[in-house]
Amino acid sequence: MSCGNPHATDCVEVLELVYGFLDGELDDADRARIVQHLDECSPCLRQYGLEQAVKSLVHRSCACEQAPDRLRIQIVTRIRQISITYRSSGPAD
Amino acid sequence: MPVVRLIAATEGGLPTLGLPMGGVGLGSSTMTDDVVAEIALESAEERNLRFERDAMQYLDQLYGAAMRMTRNPTDAEDLVQETYMKAFAAFGSFTDGTNLKAWLFRILTNTYINIYRKKQRQPYLTGTDDLTDGQLHDAESHTPRGLRSAEAEALDRLADTDVVEALAAVPEDFRMAVYLADVEGFSYKEIAEIMETPVGTVMSRLHRGRKLLRELLEDYAIERGLIPAAVAADGGDES
Repeated sequence: MSCGNPHATDCVEVLELVYGFLDGELDDADRARIVQHLDECSPCLRQYGLEQAVKSLVHRSCACEQAPDRLRIQIVTRIRQISITYRSSGPAD
Repeated sequence: MPVVRLIAATEGGLPTLGLPMGGVGLGSSTMTDDVVAEIALESAEERNLRFERDAMQYLDQLYGAAMRMTRNPTDAEDLVQETYMKAFAAFGSFTDGTNLKAWLFRILTNTYINIYRKKQRQPYLTGTDDLTDGQLHDAESHTPRGLRSAEAEALDRLADTDVVEALAAVPEDFRMAVYLADVEGFSYKEIAEIMETPVGTVMSRLHRGRKLLRELLEDYAIERGLIPAAVAADGGDES
């Protein structure tokens, strides 16, 4: 499948690599190929824009989750209790 | 060295994970003599403080991931608490300077699989990697419908609650791969280690998860009137 225009790198290949490109997982050579292709192929660029939008949307919507204060207190309390228990009972031999 | 025995005793007193805890794959597990000496000399109190200082900073992130896994706050809190207890028990075997965040996420994932997934007994969680692409939209090719920048803008206007809801509808293995990559910014290699699966499987999960998620988000956008259904179908390019 192609947008109909000749490209050094085929559209199908670019779209295969688009996630790796977005995720920063490609080597320099592949990155350069994708950038060149996106510069000259607007359908791929639109697809890329959409994938980028979804990725940033997930980040925006999920990244600000805050744990309840009582959870932090519970965990720290339990950790300190474990430490005290073992300290007062002495090292096991 | 009494402190070393103390740590060993702590580990014995708590449930252990069914995974190698020495940071295998999550960075070098080779301890220098200096590090070994330092840990041996570390008092329980110092170790406790080191754990609090280094590990507690990831609480919100682990809780966020636990929320995506369990999809309810009570289970998420229990899961995170259990994760921290296991991490604390195994902290003696964790090498300072290696990837603590990935290590904690791996314990979280394992704890979830061992406790909650078994409890839920939900078969949909297994075998998702073997699904064929048949039922999935073929988004890898340029479809006649086309994809306009206006659509990306429309998705961007979706409420966070819609996005969270859409993500919750994606099968778990796909959902967590997307979450770990997009929210936590883990590399494919780190996700592979956290999920204990080959990198190729991670890529496939990301691929399928994102495709499903995008379709769900497009549905939400149409439902919310952000993409008029008629305009979405005609492939026009007005903004």
